[in-house]
Amino acid sequence: MQRSANRRKTISVIVFLLSLLLLAACATSIRSHHKISEIRINDDFIIVTAAAKDTLSSLAAEYLNDPSKEWLISEFNHIKTLAPGQELIIPLFPFKKGGLKLGGYQTVPVLSYYRLSKNKPSKIAITQDDFKAQMKYLKENGYHVITLDQLLGFLDYQEQIPEKSVAITFDDGWISVYDIAFPILKKYGFPATIFIYTDFIGGGKAMSWKQIKELSEAGFDIQCQTKTHRDLTVLKEKESFKEYFKSLEMEISYPKKLIKKKLNKECKCLAYPYGITNNLVIAMLKKHGYRAAFTVDNRSNPFFIDKYKINRSAIYGEYDIEKFKNKLSVFQNMELK
Amino acid sequence: MKRFFNIYLLLIVLFFFTGCAGVREFLGDIADKIAEKNSEKAPEGTKFLPASYYLEKALAYEKNDELQTALFYMQIAGTLNPDSIKIPEKIASLKSTIDHKARKHFTTGVECYEKRKFKDARRQFLTTLRYAPGHQEALDYLKNRLHPKEYLNYTVKEKDTLKDISKKFYKDPSKDFLIAYFNNLKTGEEPISGTTLEIPVLESEFNRPSIDIPIELIKAENLLKEKQYEQALAVAGKILDYDKSNKAAQDLINTAFCQQGKDLIIRKNYTEALHVLSRADPQYDCVKKTTSDVYTAMEKQAEVHYLKGVNHFLNEELQSAIKEWEKTLALNPEHKKAKKNINNARSLLKKLEKVK
Repeated sequence: MQRSANRRKTISVIVFLLSLLLLAACATSIRSHHKISEIRINDDFIIVTAAAKDTLSSLAAEYLNDPSKEWLISEFNHIKTLAPGQELIIPLFPFKKGGLKLGGYQTVPVLSYYRLSKNKPSKIAITQDDFKAQMKYLKENGYHVITLDQLLGFLDYQEQIPEKSVAITFDDGWISVYDIAFPILKKYGFPATIFIYTDFIGGGKAMSWKQIKELSEAGFDIQCQTKTHRDLTVLKEKESFKEYFKSLEMEISYPKKLIKKKLNKECKCLAYPYGITNNLVIAMLKKHGYRAAFTVDNRSNPFFIDKYKINRSAIYGEYDIEKFKNKLSVFQNMELK
Repeated sequence: MKRFFNIYLLLIVLFFFTGCAGVREFLGDIADKIAEKNSEKAPEGTKFLPASYYLEKALAYEKNDELQTALFYMQIAGTLNPDSIKIPEKIASLKSTIDHKARKHFTTGVECYEKRKFKDARRQFLTTLRYAPGHQEALDYLKNRLHPKEYLNYTVKEKDTLKDISKKFYKDPSKDFLIAYFNNLKTGEEPISGTTLEIPVLESEFNRPSIDIPIELIKAENLLKEKQYEQALAVAGKILDYDKSNKAAQDLINTAFCQQGKDLIIRKNYTEALHVLSRADPQYDCVKKTTSDVYTAMEKQAEVHYLKGVNHFLNEELQSAIKEWEKTLALNPEHKKAKKNINNARSLLKKLEKVK
């Protein structure tokens, strides 16, 4: 009798614990909603009263399905942080495409790096410490490093990007990008684009395809910089126009196919070797389905820039932080009234 | 106890069968009902700031010419206070102002564009977009029309071949493959009349001719040496047709004019010399020098005729003297002595005729 009572007791405890577990599981899967304190305006905006646990990021996750879009709420409401009970507006669409304001328009600097070195700078090689300092400066001064797709969305007048946006690119495919830049960028959570010229890959100072694949899988954007890095704008000695044309076609089509084959990724942008281009090259890029191409004209980009002549500011090894700051122009003054 | 335990077990079994979703739906329904109930009451700022707060904000933005933001805040005010008559009127008025301003700036932009004032046009189109972010035409100007195109459109005419078109655009029929490539035409396939082709615009350095320029230059130089000026000019002109900036051909043309001018000076055909030199580039040193030589020669020749006239006059050959001085004045209309003497000779001749 006593044994039977004990058994029933044990079963009750087990069942009770099981039910507790079940309820706990259910409780965590119920998303917190702000339905009690929100109003939707024309499907474009929502007015929300922030709850105690809310952050800009959690609101962005809840309403914009992307926690990284906290800047959109922050910029619309002109706030940096959130207080409980604070009423704020969540825009559900890009409310300032092109970054147009009464006093001018937004521009996006695209930084162009080549190589990095542990400690010895050169014209095209920036030291590890300088690179770290530059990335730190971007982080601490409110810059948002955007992806290539975000940049293209902005240039297409489709997507809004943070007011202080900047893009980072590397040319050629040097091994130092993998060894030095990659860990630093990873630490700051900054995306970057690498333009590779495919004949260089696998060579002595270049990355291997394996390393490139690793970068690609880590979220780096791998794009083209032709096959051989020839100057696309001039005929070589004794080269006929027809030979030049055939060479152009190969320089533009081959790396696209190779990147697709090696990484299973679409190559949609090209960085011109030496930053220079001409009409025929642009016509060829369009024919082969490239969406944009980059020069090294030292200016920031408004949304209305020619997408086949996107400017980039080359960051050289001798640059100190002041010179670096000068490359970060994010707004062009112009009275728009 | 046993009864309680059975009820408890039944509940747990129910949880197992319906799963979390069932519970969530059940709880969710309750939450939704509460929300619905609350949102019915929400307007006029029970839970939110009052409509007047947003209306004030809207007016401030309107005052600062931030009309899109003003419109948005007015719409919030309108949602929070749906019974207001004033707010919808204000919204309509603001929309009309936005339309008016966008239209005004767009029209000015198009005018600037047509006058090729591209910088001004860009500013106007940007202003248009600031007022009306969805203005597609302003966007088209900014994104397309204000950028130089890398190809031209050409509508194929009857009997046009790719080689004809290539010659027309590139002065080189052998670049027909380029047109075929960019217009998806197969080798040997001719374009259909009436279709529009995209012709890539090549930079001048690629518009290389099918003629051999160095050989043509040698031909022109030989013709020049043989004083066959017109033929030499024709060959050099052909080179310039292919390459406008060919310096050697330009030099050759001006040298030909100068040499022709010099020959005409020797033949004392000054008028023709000046005519030939007028076809040359006046900046060339040889052209400047030869033109100056023509005028010097004309002055010298005028003096020769003047002295001949004096001799005739002294020999009382008035008619001949007048003829020589007329030649002097034809070459140098400012020759003072010839002017004076010719008048004297003519009046003397008249008097003599009267005496006769």
